[in-house]
Amino acid sequence: MKILIAIGSKKFSKPTLRLGMKVAQAFNAKTTIIDVGEKISEFSSHLVELAQDQMESWDFDPPGVDVLEWAFNYLSDNKLIDSKQIETGFPKNRLIDDGEDRKLVYLSGTVCEDVNLILRNGDIISELREEVQFGKYDVTILGKSRMRNMSHDLLQYINSSVLIVNNYDNEKFDKILLPLNDSSGMMKVAKYAIRVSLALEVGIEILTVTNEKDSDLEGRSKIDKIVKLIRRSKVKHSHRIEGGDIVEQIINRAGKDKIIVMKASSMSPIQRFFKGSIPLSVMNECDVPILIVK
Amino acid sequence: MLGFSNTSLSNFLFWATQKRWFLYAIIIGAVLLLLPTPQGLQLEGKISIIILIVSLILIIKEPVPLPAVAIFILIAQIYGGVDTVDGIAKSFMSDAVFFIMGSLMLAVVIIKQGWDSRIALGILKFTGNKTAGIALGFLSISAVLSSFIGEHTVAAIMLPIGMTLIRFTSANPSKVKNLSAVILFSIAYGCLIGSIGTPSGGGRNVIMLNYLNQAGISISYFDWMLRVYPFIFLQIPIVSWIILKTFKPEHRILDSSVRKLVIKVARSRNITGRNTLTVFIFIFILLGWVFFSEQFGLGTIALTGVFLYLLGGFVKWSDLNKHTHWGVIILFGATISLGTSISTTGGASWLADKLIYFLGAFMETIPFFRELVIILITTGMSNVLSSSATVAVLGPINLNLVPEMLNIGLLTAMSSAFSYFTAVAAPACTIIYSSGMIRAKDFIKIGFRVGMISILLLIAYVNIYWPLFNR
Repeated sequence: MKILIAIGSKKFSKPTLRLGMKVAQAFNAKTTIIDVGEKISEFSSHLVELAQDQMESWDFDPPGVDVLEWAFNYLSDNKLIDSKQIETGFPKNRLIDDGEDRKLVYLSGTVCEDVNLILRNGDIISELREEVQFGKYDVTILGKSRMRNMSHDLLQYINSSVLIVNNYDNEKFDKILLPLNDSSGMMKVAKYAIRVSLALEVGIEILTVTNEKDSDLEGRSKIDKIVKLIRRSKVKHSHRIEGGDIVEQIINRAGKDKIIVMKASSMSPIQRFFKGSIPLSVMNECDVPILIVK
Repeated sequence: MLGFSNTSLSNFLFWATQKRWFLYAIIIGAVLLLLPTPQGLQLEGKISIIILIVSLILIIKEPVPLPAVAIFILIAQIYGGVDTVDGIAKSFMSDAVFFIMGSLMLAVVIIKQGWDSRIALGILKFTGNKTAGIALGFLSISAVLSSFIGEHTVAAIMLPIGMTLIRFTSANPSKVKNLSAVILFSIAYGCLIGSIGTPSGGGRNVIMLNYLNQAGISISYFDWMLRVYPFIFLQIPIVSWIILKTFKPEHRILDSSVRKLVIKVARSRNITGRNTLTVFIFIFILLGWVFFSEQFGLGTIALTGVFLYLLGGFVKWSDLNKHTHWGVIILFGATISLGTSISTTGGASWLADKLIYFLGAFMETIPFFRELVIILITTGMSNVLSSSATVAVLGPINLNLVPEMLNIGLLTAMSSAFSYFTAVAAPACTIIYSSGMIRAKDFIKIGFRVGMISILLLIAYVNIYWPLFNR
């Protein structure tokens, strides 16, 4: 399992890093923390590099290094990396330019596998997409952007599950909301929900939204299997069946204190591009963290 | 769908999203091409204007790498029948392109010589420890230096000095936000103000000289300075005052930080004989620009300097190669070639005629309206494009607007330096923005004030000072 946590600033990224590391811990995943710096106009990019070289000769760090240092300090304070590395401090001098327009440093994790710190520059979606393809990540974790297009682009183009950390506060989240239907791939979603619920020590609320009067036997049996799996994992859970609009029901049930874990749309990329999807609508409208499992 | 996997569909959609501005540009170009050619405009002129519109979209939105835009401009001109292959190749390489190439390479040599610490000492000796004096000092030195060696070089040299002073004042950037803005804007705006002072101050000046030469007008290095340099002295105190009023610095006196900076500079490496030799070579280049540029061209002299630096082993070719953006050089070559084509195919005069048709009545009745229009169009474009590209594109059109070509040429070059409003337009602004101490909205806040005052000053300047040359 490989997890990519995207951070952007010391001011806003703490919840992302906190929840991201908890999820990484739950999956004992190899974790990479990435900071994608602002795209520089191609006209000036070489000149800016030249200026930054000059800045380094005056002991100034290139932009973004301070964010990685902050992430390192967070990992140190929470003892998430090897004690020897904590003692030596942030290995600024070991930031390697790997020739792929990114700088990186390798650390040894304690609660999860290795932790890497990466610095890239450019358009966030392109850079994350490239990183996910390059590193074959299973989950990408990042904070919610104010730009509406961003959610669309993340779901559309990032080839991994996506966890959007929105208004995350450690204390107030007491449940995972798992919208469930009889479509294929639900078992994987349920497994993710179980791992996250175990890591955060919270229960799962299963929500099935159906408007069909006659129950479909095959569908019911699939859902029952998943409920059985959750029961066996000894996670505290409940199951609600509601009617009505799916997006509305999920948003209402999630309220402000549940983390949503749901399956990505199974529509074709073209349909998703033009029509949108239920996960996208939920992601845009909800006020809580949401994990879309692909 | 049609046998394509979801992954390949997704990849295609991602490509289309990333390149959407390329697709829009091509659609706009195709639609314009299908429209009938306006009366008074040749087909070649129409095609060159369409290529101009398409490439402007591509340069501003950057959906494809800049070298790809350059290649597009060149091949589109050939396929469109705007000129022959030889004609395009000839207009592609000019002294202006030599100069841009040479100046980017000279920047690498100069920046690596450690002159920054000497400059820091010089500024502090000259300004004392009051914030207002230091800001004025940064702005003045940046302006004077950039008038000879280019804004990007000076910004890169001055930024660490300014940042060190800020860091010595407070380790917490949030406590010295305004002071940071004062120092950094003094550097960037100083570079912009100064870059118009001499032909070697920026690529845009050389591009304009190139167009003026094509139109049969010649102006020497010294004549340029005589006409333009006083405007720099006019702007320096006013812009410095505006910066200080806009961002009231948290500290009025920087006593201890100045002392710390002096100590740091004193501890830095000594200037060696080789460093001094680089200064002499640069003075040699400068003298070449002043006395021989009309004969040999500014670009040739700049490249001579690069040759001498390479010959003496002052810089490695690998360093020059690493820090010189060849794509930008190719793009400027292509833009100048397009500008030349627009001019020779009659596109420039047609566009100028249209502008006069729509605004001619105002130009004749409202005093200074003509200058205002030129300044506003040039300033507007240089804030979203780049100043050199703006001059490359607008130069031929503006030169067709009025009979006094020299004045309009200088006015275009000068107003193209008013890239005060955004962080992306001028390299000096991008360089200070990359420090992370300045926000994009700070550029709007200060840029509007400095921009408006500069425009008014320039109108007054060209109408009061330049007429003295005609007596």
